[in-house]
Amino acid sequence: MRAPGSDKGVAAGDVLLAVDNVSLNFGGVKAITDVSFDIRKGEIRAIIGPNGAGKTSMLNVINGFYHPQQGRITYRGETRQKMRPYVAASQGISRTFQNVALFKGMSTLDNIMAGRTLKMRGSFFWQLFRHGPAMREEIEHRKVVEEIIDFLEIQAIRKTPVGKLPYGLQKRVELGRALAMEPDLLLLDEPMAGMNLEEKEDMSRFIIDVNNQYGTTIALIEHDIGVVMDLSDRIVVLEYGRKIADGTPDQVKSDQTVIDAYLGVPH
Amino acid sequence: MFYREAGQYKTSYAADMAVFPIRQDRIGLAVILFTAFVLIPAFGNQFFLSSVMIPTLVFALAAIGLNILTGYTGLISLGTAAFMGVGAYACYKLTTWFPGVNIIVWIIASGFVSAFVGAMFGLPSLRIKGFYLVVATLAAQFFLQWCFGRIPWLVNYNTSGAIEAPERFLFGIPITGANATPESRYLVVLGVVALMTWFASNLVHGRVGRAWMAVRDMDIAAELMGIRLLTTKLLAFAVSSFYCGVSGALMVFLWYGSAEPEVFVINQSFLILFMVIIGGLGSLVGSFMGAALIYMLPIVLRLLPAALGVPIAAATVEHLQFIIVGVLIIVFLIAEPHGLARLWQTGKQKLRIWPFPY
Ligand SMILES: Nc1ncnc2c1ncn2[C@@H]1O[C@H](COP(=O)(O)OP(=O)(O)OP(=O)(O)O)[C@@H](O)[C@H]1O
Ligand SMILES: [Mg+2]
Repeated sequence: MRAPGSDKGVAAGDVLLAVDNVSLNFGGVKAITDVSFDIRKGEIRAIIGPNGAGKTSMLNVINGFYHPQQGRITYRGETRQKMRPYVAASQGISRTFQNVALFKGMSTLDNIMAGRTLKMRGSFFWQLFRHGPAMREEIEHRKVVEEIIDFLEIQAIRKTPVGKLPYGLQKRVELGRALAMEPDLLLLDEPMAGMNLEEKEDMSRFIIDVNNQYGTTIALIEHDIGVVMDLSDRIVVLEYGRKIADGTPDQVKSDQTVIDAYLGVPH
Repeated sequence: MFYREAGQYKTSYAADMAVFPIRQDRIGLAVILFTAFVLIPAFGNQFFLSSVMIPTLVFALAAIGLNILTGYTGLISLGTAAFMGVGAYACYKLTTWFPGVNIIVWIIASGFVSAFVGAMFGLPSLRIKGFYLVVATLAAQFFLQWCFGRIPWLVNYNTSGAIEAPERFLFGIPITGANATPESRYLVVLGVVALMTWFASNLVHGRVGRAWMAVRDMDIAAELMGIRLLTTKLLAFAVSSFYCGVSGALMVFLWYGSAEPEVFVINQSFLILFMVIIGGLGSLVGSFMGAALIYMLPIVLRLLPAALGVPIAAATVEHLQFIIVGVLIIVFLIAEPHGLARLWQTGKQKLRIWPFPY
């Protein structure tokens, strides 16, 4: 894998994505109210908050699945009212889902290969023959996919239909599929939910490695506060759709509003 | 015992990505092709060629078409027969307009006409799903069926309302019309079906097939990965209808010889849907198995008791057929949604590790 985004004109530490005064409601339900924050290139940015705080909705706004009623989104210096899924994907935003959203009937390999779709340019005509340019392209992408498989240590389940895999491995394959897009911005929605300690440690290691080795910027939603404090550079805290805090792990940990609303009384 | 991959190391990604990575499978395929292209035309009698092989191949092609849409892309259609009809009528119009152009060209062209019509009726699939899409394809079925019966232009103002395959040649040999021998018709059908099956296999194993299956399994994730839903679904409708259209053209020109609008009715759509369900959703081999089983069942039911000396009435055969097909569909839907193809796979898997179960 190349280092994604290194050549896109946004230097490490600059703002890669900013949401400004974003509000989103579904009928009467206010999922997000007037939230602003930014994500800097190269950082791991956590979004935390109690259930229903609007974290998943925020990711959906960022990659264009939900369109906010108010606010602006600036990605790579370009400001818009809303993202569109195709634009987000083709400009390097990829994600995993809170409830695993793999292609259940397909193998691990095909799931991750599907993540390469946008990078495959070959014509329909050659696809009919599975020879010549089509086969060369297929092999070229297969190599990248094999690197990801090695990186995530899932060689043994390469050809297994993902529907048959245990939950922890499914989460891993889903990360692989997101990585196959060589994202600039990787959105992870509770990547460790429902995992045991060992699986959590593995996943944490992968997240750190992706961030370190490829310089991928990561936005992370996670309920395990220990993991969040360890992994993230900065944290934004949401509650009832509003932002109640934003800062480094230390700042957030000692913020009285956050302690009251989410972390509970420190022991 | 001999069916296994031990000792067959894959030395390149290309080898690993082959559709048949195990040598025994490739040998099996070669045997099947040899039988189909050489042994059957050499030794098969007229009845076997005309009434068993040609129809099975024609239906298998339509089943592949429907499977691309339903099995691979997850869009259920009840318009299969109508799209076959589009192919048949288009081929008839084209070859009567331009009799000089080779019929094979027109059979392929009629596939494109059908693909276009299919894509048109596929447009609503971006907005509607499941049950409502079924209703939309049902509308296509009834609308097109109505066109076949009510637009005299389609049948060149024949008072009978039927279309009749005129005599056409390939390499100087008649392949349609009254003078075409079963052997020549069979070989043409087989050639077309084999080639198109190969294309379908290439498509579903590559980028296009992955996009179809991604849309089938989790359209939201597919969309957020940059797979365009409308384009992908329309492509599935177009390719599917192409296959159905060619199948319809083959049906009229190389099997029936002539056809009335009643051929392309909803019952036939259901028949092909049953073939896909019993054969296996999302399996090309299954499309052949399903077509063979459903088409040959009544033949076997008719011939077997006669051969055993048990008299059986035609009506009984028909009832038996309904019962058996009905039971099979229920059994497969409940117990094995991937159909005969999956049973075959499981059998092979067992064989691969036999005699040690682990
Ligand atoms: N598609 C939708 N339609 C209607 N309401 C929605 C929709 N998506 C989210 N909501 C509502 O928006 C609010 C925020 O939901 P969201 O899923 O973003 O929360 P979350 O912070 O991710 O919670 P959790 O930790 O449980 O995942 C909730 O009240 C939810 O019911
Ligand atoms: Mg959530």
